[in-house]
Amino acid sequence: MLTAVEVRGLRRSYRGRTVLDGVDLTVAEGETLGILGHNGAGKTTLVETIAGLRRPSSGSVRVLGLDPQADRRRVRGVLGVQLQHAILHHDLTVRENLRLHRSFYRSGEDPDALIDRLGLADVRDVRFQRLSGGQAQRLSVAVALVGAPRIVILDELTTGLDPEGRRGIWRVVEDLQTRGVTILLVSHQMEEVERLCERVIVLDGGRIRAHGAPAALRSQTGTETLEDAFLALRSGAASEGSAA
Amino acid sequence: MSATGYDLPAQPAPGVRAWAQLTLAEMRSVVRDTSGLIVPIGMPSLFLLVQGFASSSEVVPGTGGRSVLELFVLPLMLVMVVALVGVVNMPSFLATYRKGGLLKRLAATPARPSMVLGAQVITSLAQTAVGVALAVGLAWGAFGLVGPERPWLAVAVFAAICASLYGCGLVVAAIAPTPNASVAIGLVVFFALGAVGGLFGGLQSLPDPIAAIGEWTPFGAGVVALQCAWVGEPVPAQSVIALVVTAVVGAAFAIRFFRWDR
Repeated sequence: MLTAVEVRGLRRSYRGRTVLDGVDLTVAEGETLGILGHNGAGKTTLVETIAGLRRPSSGSVRVLGLDPQADRRRVRGVLGVQLQHAILHHDLTVRENLRLHRSFYRSGEDPDALIDRLGLADVRDVRFQRLSGGQAQRLSVAVALVGAPRIVILDELTTGLDPEGRRGIWRVVEDLQTRGVTILLVSHQMEEVERLCERVIVLDGGRIRAHGAPAALRSQTGTETLEDAFLALRSGAASEGSAA
Repeated sequence: MSATGYDLPAQPAPGVRAWAQLTLAEMRSVVRDTSGLIVPIGMPSLFLLVQGFASSSEVVPGTGGRSVLELFVLPLMLVMVVALVGVVNMPSFLATYRKGGLLKRLAATPARPSMVLGAQVITSLAQTAVGVALAVGLAWGAFGLVGPERPWLAVAVFAAICASLYGCGLVVAAIAPTPNASVAIGLVVFFALGAVGGLFGGLQSLPDPIAAIGEWTPFGAGVVALQCAWVGEPVPAQSVIALVVTAVVGAAFAIRFFRWDR
């Protein structure tokens, strides 16, 4: 199976603070990888560096074999990104925003069909600034998918969504999986990660503290839920840190 | 079409449709949030009417019936309006996008800096053109303004002035991290260009070395070129060179050093 994303020795520092500290990661094409970690663990920095939105301080990132900085256009053409904060043109409607983003890609999804799939039909002609948080989040996901990407980065996919909206988005993600799309999913929702991800990494202090299938992490920590496994790994990391 | 081992096709740059959609998006945003129209559309009329009432309507001898307003005030006011909109007003919109995260969102797509800058310039220029046409129309009605001796030359010179001053504005737009920084940098650039370009009393009131420098700046070169075009005299090559070089260098710098994020 081809490697979709390859990260080697990735370090990223801001003003003397190390946010990513030697991350090594490989994601196979068609795989869904969950990225867990507490706030400030480096999750968003990791995915934004993979997307080419940030430059590594050192180390390398390859997306389908290409450097996202040097091969910007080619990588952007196959990568869909849903950023943590949904920001689009405030005075454009849902449909206008989606049509605008569709125009950037050579081929892609029909904006109106995507609006229907993401449950935005009722607000099709409503301006972005008047959408609820959940609607804006769904539009942000639609924008990430409008270019029919081979790799999708979803950063806090269902934040702000009600249970019904969350399940609707999960079905969209499952549809992507059946189509063989590679997905990097940053989340704090353990139920979501357990349901959608084949493999998980746990970031802590800019390093990968644990990785494996959700069931393997539960078994490794002797816990019953992924949330307990995550907390156990966190407390283990904290005690290692204090011992050091 | 080349491909990598991953079967990744070469991506052509976003085409005319993307440029048009982005420009249309900017135009829609401006029309729907009308507060952005005040400066480019309202200000030219305000300046020209105030200056028109304050300046002499006497005809200057040996100028073919031209008044002080036409010879000195009008070119200065038009260049000032374009400078203020191009260097201070237009960049603040992009800085707002940058601060709010919209540019970062666009950075995650195949959109290019030149598209974002181009859409801003076209949108802002359209507003300025409407504002200036309205102002000149009002001045014609209120003060009996006589049109330019060579209208198409005047239009071409005005376009070159816009390109040049927007070139300076693009540099500010490309690098200013926040709206406040954009306005601060823009105002400094505006007053620096204006001071050596004759904003405060005309180029003739400046010491010779400063006036010589001023004639090479987009502001000073613009005023001289517009004066000449209005009365039908040949536009000095120096002014044309100054305007074109500033436009090209400004645009190239802005594209090269464009910041998507703060």
